[in-house]
Amino acid sequence: MGRSQEKGQGQGPIYNIRLSTVGATRPSETGTTHEPTGLDLAMKLHYLKAAYIYSSDTARDLTVTHVKAAMFMLFDQIAWTTGRLWRKDSGRPYIKCNDCGTRFVEGDCNLTVQEWLSIPDRSVDEYLVYHQPIGPELPFSPMIFVQMTRFKCGGLALGLSWANIMGDSFSLLDAFNLWAKAISGEKIYIRETSEKDRRFQKPNPTVKDLDSIKRVDPVGDLWITPNNKKMANYCFNLTVADQISPYFPANGDDQIPVFGILAGIIWKCIAKVREEPNPVTVTIIRKDPNELKPKGIRNSQMISSVHVDFPVAEANVEELVKCMAKSTDERCGIDEIGESCDGILDFVVYGAKLTFVDLSEVDLYEAKVKGKSPESVYCNVEGIGEEGLVVVFAAENSEERVVTVTLPEEEMERVKSEFKKCGLIAA
Amino acid sequence: STYTFLHIRLSPKMPQAPMPKFSSSVKLKYVKLGYQYLVNHFLSLLLIPIMAVIAVELLRMGPEEILNVWNSLHFDLVQVLCSSFLVIFISTVYFMSKPRTVYLVDYSCYKPPVTCRVPFATFMEHSRLILKDKPKSVEFQMRILERSGLGEETCLPPAIHYIPPTPTMDEARSEAQMVIFTAMDDLFKKTGLMPKDIDILIVNCSLFSPTPSLSAMVINKYKLRSNIKSFNLSGMGCSAGLISVDLARDLLQVHPNSNAVIVSTEIITPNYYKGNERAMLLPNCLFRMGSAAILMSNRRSDRWRAKYKLCHLVRTHRGADDKSYYCVYEQEDKEGNIGINLSKDLMAIAGEALKANITTIGPLVLPASEQLLFLSSLIGRKIFNPKWKPYIPDFKLAFEHFCIHAGGRAVIDELQKNLQLSGEHVEASRMTLHRFGNTSSSSLWYELSYIESKGRMRRGARVWQIAFGSGFKCNSAVWKCNRTIKTPKDGPWSDCIDRYPVFIPEVVKL
Repeated sequence: MGRSQEKGQGQGPIYNIRLSTVGATRPSETGTTHEPTGLDLAMKLHYLKAAYIYSSDTARDLTVTHVKAAMFMLFDQIAWTTGRLWRKDSGRPYIKCNDCGTRFVEGDCNLTVQEWLSIPDRSVDEYLVYHQPIGPELPFSPMIFVQMTRFKCGGLALGLSWANIMGDSFSLLDAFNLWAKAISGEKIYIRETSEKDRRFQKPNPTVKDLDSIKRVDPVGDLWITPNNKKMANYCFNLTVADQISPYFPANGDDQIPVFGILAGIIWKCIAKVREEPNPVTVTIIRKDPNELKPKGIRNSQMISSVHVDFPVAEANVEELVKCMAKSTDERCGIDEIGESCDGILDFVVYGAKLTFVDLSEVDLYEAKVKGKSPESVYCNVEGIGEEGLVVVFAAENSEERVVTVTLPEEEMERVKSEFKKCGLIAA
Repeated sequence: STYTFLHIRLSPKMPQAPMPKFSSSVKLKYVKLGYQYLVNHFLSLLLIPIMAVIAVELLRMGPEEILNVWNSLHFDLVQVLCSSFLVIFISTVYFMSKPRTVYLVDYSCYKPPVTCRVPFATFMEHSRLILKDKPKSVEFQMRILERSGLGEETCLPPAIHYIPPTPTMDEARSEAQMVIFTAMDDLFKKTGLMPKDIDILIVNCSLFSPTPSLSAMVINKYKLRSNIKSFNLSGMGCSAGLISVDLARDLLQVHPNSNAVIVSTEIITPNYYKGNERAMLLPNCLFRMGSAAILMSNRRSDRWRAKYKLCHLVRTHRGADDKSYYCVYEQEDKEGNIGINLSKDLMAIAGEALKANITTIGPLVLPASEQLLFLSSLIGRKIFNPKWKPYIPDFKLAFEHFCIHAGGRAVIDELQKNLQLSGEHVEASRMTLHRFGNTSSSSLWYELSYIESKGRMRRGARVWQIAFGSGFKCNSAVWKCNRTIKTPKDGPWSDCIDRYPVFIPEVVKL
């Protein structure tokens, strides 16, 4: 990804970068380890990102010390995430709970929050998330990076980069909500997940030939997705009423499947641009509806595959929505694959096929500081495959959605013009 | 044990069969005990036969004879008055010339916030990032840390957590404010001392000496009196804590009815060594954040509530010897980075300094039995046979508790060996090194706090604090516990004392 920066240098509009470390307050017992499951290992080349922007009124008095103190309280609950990855003799990665910590990055920005938010392409928020891949030395690579950016007006942005091997987007966003609680002085608690909890039950027929996962060339100890194409980001807002509802004929009291429709529209647009061969399989990643609450930090996102036999570019959005409802959950298969190779082989899940991620059920604006929600939240995934990624999440207004699209650079402009044609973005 | 001794002497027949080893060592132990009791209580034991003789005489004389002797003494008024005046005069001179007793009312140690914690893995990772072109130096630091005896909860100030550290003067001042003011606030709370009541203020911090001084900083913060006697000791190394106590004691002799507040600390921020010379990287690995505030007083009203009484304070300076002078030396390395160079002879020099100090303090604290043995061994070696092993006095007879400056594991090991101390005697030092690292001049107070937190401090117990410092100096303080101290509910050990003592392995695998 073009935006990953070397240590110490500014990231575009962010300057005055200072690195330090935060961790847990209590020492972990010597010899404690955290064993990733097969599913965790299959996701190891991906990194989840989120950026929260708070206005100057909310965050002006929030100093580095306050933010760090609340981070310590958060990591007290999940001390294993502050450990480091080592390999067993078999080559299987595991997390050694040595309290090494997460990297904390401070930076300044010459713009005010208002000026920043007035930039139309919201993927500028990528600059608010400091990212380094794991490797080339596993034992010295933090799995989490937290960036704190101070805007000219006193506003604050907090960006998190989180290695997917630890847990899914839902875990990350939950953890950040707890940080916000901690900074308000509340006591927080994250359920510990034992290895047994995190494993998946074997289904009756073992799923063969999974579509949502693809093997890639070995990356060794530098966990970067090997892509031949350079990827680009684009992020935009849309209103359900204006852009989504027209596609779904009013069926009385039926819930409009906003995500489904949006995914269908975007799928069509991308199919039109890609011409041949149509992406007839896509991956849908969403929250597991049967998830136990509270969840804990783990990879439990539902990874399902959608297969259509007809050309998508000409298809009806309604048909696509219906097909997406019939997706097959491939988590167990992925878990098996990851388990069987002991984490030695490298895979890609996000972007193995065109992937749609549904984060719309997560209340991102629950992360309140001093009782006030963030002005804006941004979500994305780093290290995805070449087929591309679409992330849909809620805006502050429940009638709006935010969409982050990551595609090969060469396709981006054409896809954007397709979006304009179907009214998703303003011409 | 006297009775056992007498019994052994009086029992006529000893079994002829060869004794098992245990039983002979037990006999030796009783002989030793008996000898010690005899010599140490010589005068009181002498009193017994004298009183016996007098009693026998009195009984023999009968009441009338006693009355006759009394009447023949011819007391007249002038004689009585003169003798009473003489007695009163002599006692006044005696009480006036006696040095004022100096008490340690209470003290408080700074507990760093948990957000300043530096686990081994974090220290090593930072080291690799900062010294990325010097893997040998990183390797060296790792080996030091593995064998250091430090634990995973020692703390560094916020500026040193950055990669690379940001030791500005502002950060140094802010660390100084954080550690000193917190310790002093705690001391005020514990003792009920009002800032305006402080008569003498002594602050010692070796490596950070801004203008205005740290003592001026304290006076400014707490609005102390304008006629306060303030002192700021800098550059005196890890033994400066006891130097401050000595200074306070001397001042309290001159100023009646006064108190003194001592603040002992070391500010880490400006002293982080940025180079990669191995001998100078050692302090980075061992020195940690800490401070202590101590209230001393010579007021009679504080006698009932004071924790300790200062009995002796002995300072030994080996600076006249070049090797000792240069063994802890602050200098620039080849690249111009300032750091503290620790010479390889440090342990040997510390041993010499300790010997010099013991020679002075021994006669002040050792019981007569040990001194006699030492003297006879000395005479024997000088006159009869120089090859006799020198007798090392048993200091365990003089003290109940030992606080050895937690300068590093090697120092504690060396002293444990030289003074023949058990594991429990050096426990306070080792555990302080483990939990807080080397906090320089304040480490002695953390160790004392450990002993109190373990509930081992009883009234009448004697404590020996030994501190080493650059120069090369060895300073000792002897305290006597004034009242049995209840396990404190707050203090630096309150949340972790139950986990101690811990087993500290020789090498911790990182």
